[in-house]
Amino acid sequence: MVLEIRNVSKNFGGIHALKDVSFKIQEGEIYGLIGPNGAGKTTMFNLITNIFEPTSGQILFHDTNITGLKSHKITEQGICRTYQNIRLFSQMSALKNVMVGGHCRSSSGVFSSVFRTKKQKSEERGLTQKAEELLDLVGLLEHKDTLAENLAYGQQRRLEIARALASNPKLLLLDEPAAGMNENETDSLYDLIKLIQSKGVTVLIIEHDMPLVMKLCDRITVLNFGEKLAEGTPYEIQNNESVIEAYLGREEDVEIA
Amino acid sequence: MLADFINPYHLQIASFILINILLAISVYVPLSSGQLSLGSAGFMGVGAYTSALLTIHFDLPIFVGVLVGAAVAGCLGIIIGIPSLRLSGVYLAIATLGLGEVIRVIFVNWESLTKGSIGLTGIPQMGRELLKLARNVGIEPAMFGLRNNQFVYLMVFVILLILVIGTIWFVFRQQNSRIGRSFSSIQMDEKAAESMGINITYFKVLSFSQGAFLAGLAGALFAHVMGYISPSDFSYHRAVEILIFTVFGGSEVIIGSIFGAIFLTLIPEVLRFVSEYRYIIYGIMLVILMAVRPQGILDIHLLSKFKRLKRSKGGVR
Repeated sequence: MVLEIRNVSKNFGGIHALKDVSFKIQEGEIYGLIGPNGAGKTTMFNLITNIFEPTSGQILFHDTNITGLKSHKITEQGICRTYQNIRLFSQMSALKNVMVGGHCRSSSGVFSSVFRTKKQKSEERGLTQKAEELLDLVGLLEHKDTLAENLAYGQQRRLEIARALASNPKLLLLDEPAAGMNENETDSLYDLIKLIQSKGVTVLIIEHDMPLVMKLCDRITVLNFGEKLAEGTPYEIQNNESVIEAYLGREEDVEIA
Repeated sequence: MLADFINPYHLQIASFILINILLAISVYVPLSSGQLSLGSAGFMGVGAYTSALLTIHFDLPIFVGVLVGAAVAGCLGIIIGIPSLRLSGVYLAIATLGLGEVIRVIFVNWESLTKGSIGLTGIPQMGRELLKLARNVGIEPAMFGLRNNQFVYLMVFVILLILVIGTIWFVFRQQNSRIGRSFSSIQMDEKAAESMGINITYFKVLSFSQGAFLAGLAGALFAHVMGYISPSDFSYHRAVEILIFTVFGGSEVIIGSIFGAIFLTLIPEVLRFVSEYRYIIYGIMLVILMAVRPQGILDIHLLSKFKRLKRSKGGVR
């Protein structure tokens, strides 16, 4: 079990953003988290990466309780995320952005950085090389010296994925990676996520692009008003009456690929 | 002869420029991790008083006093830095400004130790001590055709220059490394930086206390250059002056701070011929700059333009 969400609830004041949600993600799968706006999907990501602590419940990563662990410690454990509204380091080059992602897999301190010790130099070389490989993987190698803010929207989304991968995650959290992408970009995103999966990374993805989700995911959890509505394979979800009622809509309203 | 070119007055201004560069960098470093600190004047005072008192009362060599002064300021930076983590932007600026005032008021009121607002006199002066040292090993200023006071100011200038170059080198190296990347990622997006595995507590306190250390260093050097300090040297005005060096020159790049310190220290001297109007001109300049170029004179875009220009020239050749 890579990730286990156990009876997690989150209240903001009197509002129940999440109510008693549980699900489990297996090693190597692509797991979808879908639901209408405001269903609590991004809140779930924020709980997993401990931007907020859950009001109750537990989050287990490889069977260890990571609830309440500091955000940067969670990244160190092997969970890394992207953001729904892109949060790159906008004034840094693409390459540097990815190198920051490798922060927790490197260790140079002030002394070795200033005096450029042998270990520090080889570490920097390693980081640079790895960052270039990852930029190549997401197809941005030729833009490595471009400032992140000057990249096109779709490229920024891919750069965020590369940055997250630089931390060697075992579990990658993608928050609406296809938002604002055209069909071609979405297709290549599909290939990219599949490629990431083939490298042994488990993926948890929030997405509104239903054709993509249904094609990509091995299993899906549907959230609605903070509660778990359904869980299952794409086929089961598409044919689940309450999911259709709450989110997908009838066949005649929305075409599902 | 060499002696004809060395004007003690110019050297003294040059020394103040160097101290001001250190102070400007002490604002720049915390700012590079997104922390606007106005505490530099306070930390400067702590460094100055620590070193002055140690050398006066315990007869310690100046360099030991300076090091201890800077270290005490740096430690105070850690102590202040941790609770200040909860604050950001203008709130941090206000809190650190308040800290500076608290430190100044302590200097004024702890009369048994600091002699209150009269200040400390008789602080061993760096230049004179060096002259003594040189004479002990048999070097006379006259051997270089220098008068004693020329030698003194020259030595002070050289030592400060070495320290400033060392500091710039340090900051520059640090910036182009894992540490510097962490600082700037925190500055650009703290939440994203944290979720990339950066321990923001550690790095923010690190940069804050580095700034405090540098301000303390500058203060200690100031004490041993002047030979006299009083609480008014480390007042609110000083804090604002230091901030302006960095903001005027451009706070995004270290060159900006250096440029700002040089330019703004020189301007009142250059404008001496208009005597009482010079601070009016100084003020007008700042107002115009902030209206036209709020990011300061030098910024990343300007520097990368320079770089491109250089590269394209090289290509033609």
